[in-house]
Order: sequence, then structure tokens, then C-alpha cells
Amino acid sequence: MPPVGVTEFPFAAVRGMDDAKRAILCALANRRIRTVLIRGGPGTAKTALARAAGPLSGGSVVNIPPGASEDMIFGGIDAEATMREGRPVPQAGLLSRADGRALCIDDANLMDRRVLASILDCVARGKVSLEREGASAEYPCGSLLIATVNPCDSDLSPHLLDRFDLCAYSGWGPGEEDRMEIAKRGALHRDDPAALAELFAAEQAGVGERLEASRRILPLTVMSDGLMEVAAELSAKVSADGFRGDIAMVNASLAIAALNGRDEVLRKDVEEAARICLAHRRGYAPEPPAQQRDEQGREEDREEDREDEGDRGGRDDDGGDGGGEPERPPGSGPEGGRDDMEDIARAMEDMVFEIGEQFRVVDYLGGGPRKASKASGGKGRRDMAESSDAVGRYARSRIPDGRARDIAFDATIRAAAPHQRRRGRAGMAVSVEKSDLREKVREKRRGCTILFLVDASGSLGVRRRMAAVKGAVLSMLRDSYVKRDRVGLMAFRRDSAELVLPPTRSVEYGYRMMGELPTGGKTPLGAALVRASEYMTSYSRSHPGEACCAVLITDGRANVPLKDGADANEEAVRLAGSISVPGLRWVVVDAGAGRMRFDNAERLAMELEGAYFRLEDLNADRLAESVRSAIM
Amino acid sequence: MDNTLFPFAAIVGQDDMKKALLLNIVDPGIGGALVRGEKGTAKSTAVRSLAQILPDRRRAAGCAFGCDPSRPDRACPACAEAISSGRAIQAEEARMRVVELPLSATEDRVAGTLDIEHVLKTGEKRFEPGVLAQANGNLLYVDEVNLLNDHIVDLLLDSAAMGVNYVEREGVSFAHPSRFVLVGTMNPEEGELRPQLLDRFGLSVDVKGDRGAERRMEVVRRRIAFDSDPEAYTEAWRAETDALRARVSAARGILPKVSAPDPVLRAIVAVTSGFGIDGHRADVTMMKAAKACAALDGRTEATREDVASVAALVLSHRMRRRPFEEEAFDREELERCLQSA
Repeated sequence: MPPVGVTEFPFAAVRGMDDAKRAILCALANRRIRTVLIRGGPGTAKTALARAAGPLSGGSVVNIPPGASEDMIFGGIDAEATMREGRPVPQAGLLSRADGRALCIDDANLMDRRVLASILDCVARGKVSLEREGASAEYPCGSLLIATVNPCDSDLSPHLLDRFDLCAYSGWGPGEEDRMEIAKRGALHRDDPAALAELFAAEQAGVGERLEASRRILPLTVMSDGLMEVAAELSAKVSADGFRGDIAMVNASLAIAALNGRDEVLRKDVEEAARICLAHRRGYAPEPPAQQRDEQGREEDREEDREDEGDRGGRDDDGGDGGGEPERPPGSGPEGGRDDMEDIARAMEDMVFEIGEQFRVVDYLGGGPRKASKASGGKGRRDMAESSDAVGRYARSRIPDGRARDIAFDATIRAAAPHQRRRGRAGMAVSVEKSDLREKVREKRRGCTILFLVDASGSLGVRRRMAAVKGAVLSMLRDSYVKRDRVGLMAFRRDSAELVLPPTRSVEYGYRMMGELPTGGKTPLGAALVRASEYMTSYSRSHPGEACCAVLITDGRANVPLKDGADANEEAVRLAGSISVPGLRWVVVDAGAGRMRFDNAERLAMELEGAYFRLEDLNADRLAESVRSAIM
Repeated sequence: MDNTLFPFAAIVGQDDMKKALLLNIVDPGIGGALVRGEKGTAKSTAVRSLAQILPDRRRAAGCAFGCDPSRPDRACPACAEAISSGRAIQAEEARMRVVELPLSATEDRVAGTLDIEHVLKTGEKRFEPGVLAQANGNLLYVDEVNLLNDHIVDLLLDSAAMGVNYVEREGVSFAHPSRFVLVGTMNPEEGELRPQLLDRFGLSVDVKGDRGAERRMEVVRRRIAFDSDPEAYTEAWRAETDALRARVSAARGILPKVSAPDPVLRAIVAVTSGFGIDGHRADVTMMKAAKACAALDGRTEATREDVASVAALVLSHRMRRRPFEEEAFDREELERCLQSA
């Protein structure tokens, strides 16, 4: 398919964005680098740059639209050929159409996680193994994938981020002259792309020659053992899990040396490589280099001024966050001072005294703690949900269970194809029998609402337990922030439960409310359970299709019964057993401390048929550690 | 002329909304407009009525995608083939249209899909164009855009970003041009728009109901007059409508000659960075909007006044909002930024 109407922005005409350009050039120079991610806010030329890589790789990039069905991406059955031949004839998918060119996924965060993971796997292996609809085949896969993500909308999980060899941030703090020049080039490209290409023809050719030369030097380029060690140390310093970071460091260092016309890696190459290899891996955000900081200085000053005027914490509903690291989300580093993520990071630092330790949370909504030891994969809340009302993205087809309502014509025809030679067609081009019918499996991105039901009674004030609770809730809130969940906050103390924050996407607001939450008084656990279930019943009725979850955080020590004279604890357990809100999942987090733990919270979880976690078990890192030490 | 449409020229007030829409018609490259406002503030009326003043454009006759014959770089596969093999493309003049995207539209109807009938008759695959094909070269209108399904929004984002609709589904692999002026209307009470989609709109405007009794009476008077005899009412406004249409057409004609000198560009950058806007889309958009604004006035050079008059349209949806707070566009801050440049 010839590309229509796309004239790429010339690579050489992209101003600034040194990291992102370097990452792409590295991948083009060194074929062992296969996956590059460009992250950044809207309008920072992420996509323009990704596409600009096309002409340097031998043609336009092969675009993988977010809505593409799986058989189009990975391959399937060629219906026309199958009819002719009378046997299943497989057909390659988009991944196999690259033929040396780069594959491109725009807004990769919008893509189904499972599909994206499979694509990354295929690209890394360089082949697509096809097992579908009776066809079995293997095709080569494009060996370079460039993806973009706008973390303001939603972000990739740390696990998926790690799968990208290189990652660069598109923001770079351009100054006034830069912005004027960028605006001029941008406008010219929209109006007359040919004129812009003409303007940068010489520079563009220079980039091509530099790439050519680097590919010739690369096989001869060496990296000393000492520098290998430096790379490994840097990698270890960011405590990146696994060795993907280390390997990327070596490959990128070699590429950077070769791009500079050298056959030996220097220390500065390694340092440059670190910026694009390690930032997206756990817990590391490199400082912007000195020269960029100078350029940014002016703007940062202004930002400080505004901050002083009292704007803190709260921002637009869906500001960005990084991959889920507490102190410094990966997005916070090189994007310059004007960044939601940095604001949040800063706000979080301010609150450290009132709020206990924050951490990367386990997938507490996805199942028990033992199952969810690593990252947040698996069938959690945020997967695409199968949709039953013929609305949603057509993802796959299947043999219908009974009568097919939403017929997948393409799959039906493919299923009928092998039999066409045998069947009499009675004037029709295709003879379809009932057994050929396939129906569409549609998927909708499912929203998720989480109501935090927080015990703010005096018993948690003891030994600063409340600080730990706040730390845990905020960690879960941040997790929600990345996943675009809606969160609500209900607190109970004294004699009632109060809805502090109705469910909202503005997780930042939840942050603030949680920080200010007062503690003290008795524990009306029963009243809280009733209030929460009533609220969620009406909420889920008005939000069909929304996955709803209530997270109860308590030490389980109730002392205010609903009915005068009743045993508050027994009453709460009984109430828990009688509560039934359709579709609502419960998670009970036991906030009781060590020896003083009271088994009521666990009983509540059983009665609510919900998952039970001890507060400490929510910490993904600590859990991973304990699992690791148990194995070793 | 469709007489069921209230005359655009007869809409009372709402100058910002009208300006945002007109600028986009003058230069479709501005990137569309988002109109936010309460119920009953003439949002949908204004957008649909635009049809009366939309200019003519040249399109390839018989082409399902309405390709522009003068832009081979933006042609569909069939037209591109014809051009490269030297065949002349028959061109025709056609009026730009308002194409509506209904909220209930399914993905296959929006993006286009496999032509089932063709397959069953001939056994060959063929692409059946969808709404994004009709929208090419036209205005694509989404009412209640904040309620649109996420996966349809993804499709729109993709096309709006690249001007191309890539279809990879149901065994069809196809790409066709899909450049349109995206116009969305929404009532913020029903929920906000996804930030990614928000940023794709070149301009945005918040409309409020007119509070003045005098003007409200005028609105009601005109509406009643229209409802009682749409044809006569449309006719009564014919001269104004035609004049506006002529003005828009003329502006389109001179737009390529409009320049934005460096001081104007400097003012733009001063404003966007003064308002703390990330990314460069705002800069490019403001430059184009200022030029279109000059063109509407019949001038060939954009001025700082043009920048001042379009700044709010470009920036209001790009500023970060504090939760549960309405952030009004700060005119004084704008003045300060312009002074400093």
C-alpha cells in the first residue's frame, strides 16, 4: 500500500530533541537496537520525529494503527488465495511488511497491552509465528519499532516500558528563538511540505551519509572492559530489574561511538547512552545536562513564581505521571521545569512528613498477593473488557455459541474459503454454510472506579500507623493515576462515614484530600460498610460497564455499632456477610501493625469475598524481595 | 440551499464561537474547533448552519474521497495512480460540506470496511469507505464529542494527526486521505474530554448563554420568526449570508499571500511561553489563526492585534486547569505578554 498524503517532516529539520534524535539514530545505526519509545506531552513533535525516521530506513514507516485487528497485525488467512487453492493459505500481517523500514505505533498507550507485548516480542525475535485459523506459518518481522506515548493520557506499565531498548523524552526546554523557528517550520510543513524538504535537502543528505558511515564503522567498534563495567554499574545504580538495561547500554554506546566516526567507545558515549537507556527503567530520572539547564533557567524561574502564588498539586484531570515510581516518576527528569509530573513529585516531597513511605504497589485488584508478585501484568481491572453490545473495537473472531448476532464477515469468508472447490456455489461467488459463521469479539476499554474506604479513627493514630495508611493510599492513588482510573475517597471516624471525594479522574485532588484527612475518634466500621455499599450500588447503576471496586483500609477494630448495645466487631462481620453489590469487588487492606494485629480485618475480607492484604504486602518491591529470598 | 438551517448570519452574539469557526474555514490547517458550553447556547445550530457559508472547493469527480486534484501528495490510491500514469483527472467544483459523525457510529462505519456485497458477488475484496472518507476536504462535526466512545476517538485522533485514515481490519488493508476540519461541541457538565483529543483541536471556545434581557429577547424573536417560516426567514437573511460567504471565499483566496513577520512571531512565542504552554502545536496554531484573521479582514500581513484577538481561542483549552475550578482566560496576562515581546 503506497502511503497516502504523508510527506514526512525531514529528520534534519527537527530542531532540538537531541535525546530522541540520538535514540533513533542509534537504532538505525545498530540493528541490535530494535525498539525505541518516545515519550512526551502533546505537540512536542513525537510523531513527527518517529515518522521522520522512515526515509532514513528506506521508505515511509509502516504504520500500525491502534485499532488494527490482530489478524491484520500478525497475519491470518488470505481469503482470495484460499478459495482458489482449496486449502488454507496464510497471509503475512503488517509486522512482516516492513522490509527494512521502521514500524511505527503512535500513542502506544492506547493499544491493548496484550497486543503491544506480542508486537514487542515479535520485533525482538525478528519473526512472527502464525498459528491461526488452520494456518501455520512463520514470517520475518520488521526489526525496528518506534512508538510514541503521551503520558498525559495514560502510561505504559513499568513492565512494558522496560521492554523498549531505548526511550527518550521529547521535551527539551526550547528557548524563544527555538520556538519561533519551530513554529515557522511547522507551519511551512503543513502548507507546503515540499518546500520544507527542499530547504533541508542538504542537511538531510548529511544525516544519511553519517548513518551510512556509522554502519560501516560499527562492526569494528570496540568497548573496553572498564567501560562495560561503568555501564553495568550505572545500570545497577538505577536498580533496573533484569539485564535489558545493561544490554541496551552496550549497544547504544557502540552506536554513539560509530555515529561520531570513532571505532572506540569513550566514557562520554556511555554517559550519553545512559540518558536514553536507563531513564525509563525503574526509578531513575537523569538530570538534564548542563547546557540544557541554562536554557531552561528562565522558564523555571517563571514556574517558581507561579508556584509561589499558591498553585500546587491540583492540575488538569489527567496530567501525566511516569511509570509508577514514588519519588521521581520517570517523566520528571529532562522535560524541563513546567511539568505536571514534576509538580506532583514536588508536592509529594512536601507531604513526606505527614505521609508514610510510598511505594510501587502490587496489582492489588488483580488477585492475591502471591500471584501478583511481579509488576502488574495479567488479567487485572484495566484490561480491555469484552463487550457484548456490538460496540467496541473488533479484536478477534470466534465460532459463535448459538446464533451469531454480530457476524464477522471476513472471518466467515475465510472459514468458508477452503471448501469452495467442493461446494456448489449456485451462482454466488462464495458459498457459506452455517458452520462457517464466525462472530466478532469486540473489546471496549473498560473504565475502573475505585472507592477507598479509609479508617481514620483514633486507633490508627497510635504509633503513627495513620502515616503508613496514608502512604499506602497515596501509592495506590498514584497507581490509579497512571491507569486512568476514577477514584473516590470515603473516610470513617467518630460516628459516621463521610464521602470526602466523589469518584473523579482527578487523582491529584484525591492526593490532596488524603493528605489533609484528619484522624481521631471512634471506629464506626458498620456504618461505613453500609454507606459504602449503598453508594456503590447507585453508582454502578448509573455507570454501566464500569468495573467498580471498594478498597477498605482498616485495622478491623470497630467500636461504634449501628445498633445500640451490639458488639461492633461482630456486627461489622455480619454486615459484611450480608452486603452484596452486583459487580463490586472488595479489597481489604489490614492496617493493623505487626504483633497488635487483630484478625477481624481478615474475617471481613472473607465475608465480603474480597482479597485480603496486609498493608506491608502492598509494597511491590518488598514483596518481590521476600519472594526472591524465599526462592533462593 | 437547505432551508431547515437557521441562518448563520442571524445568530445573535457568540462572536468568539463564530470567529473560531470562520477562521477554520479560511484555513483548515488550523486544526478545528471545540465549542464548549451549556445546553441551548446555539452550539449545534451554529455548526450546522456553517453549511450555508462554506466555500466551493475543487475535487476529483467521482472520487469517493473527494481528492483535491491540485495536491497529488494528498491523493487517494486511485487518484495517485491516475496522476502518476499521466491521466487527467476530471475536476469539479463542489461546496464544502458539514459531515456529521453520530455518537452511535460503529468503528467500521467510521473508518470504512470490507465491502461484503462485493465479496459475496465476486469473491474479491474491496474497501467500502466510511465517514472518514466523506470527511476528506470537508468539515467533520461531532456533537457531544465528550461522550464519544474511546475507540472511535482513537480513530479520529489518528486521522486528525496525519490526515490519512489507515484501515487495517477485516482483511482489508487500505489508506486514504482524510483531512478535515474537526468541529466538536460538548456540554462540560457531562464530563471532560480526554486530554489527547483536547489538544488536537486547534481552537476552543467556551460559550455562555447571553444574560442581557435585550439580547435574549432578540434571540427568541429571531428563533420564532425562523420557526414560523424558515424559507422566508432564510430569504430575509440572504444578503448577509451571501456577503459572509463571499468574505470567507475571498479570505481563502488571499491566505497564501498573508505573512507573519518576525515581531508577530515573537509576540506569539511570548504569549505561549508566558502562559506556560508545552509543545509547539499552540505556536503553529496561533500563527495560522492570526494569518487567517488578517485574511478575513482582507489584509496580507498579520499583526499583533490579530494575535491578541485569537490568543484566547488557541490557549484556553491548553492551559492546565485546577480541579473543580474554572480558570478564566486572563486578558491582562495576555496584555503583559504582548507588551514584553
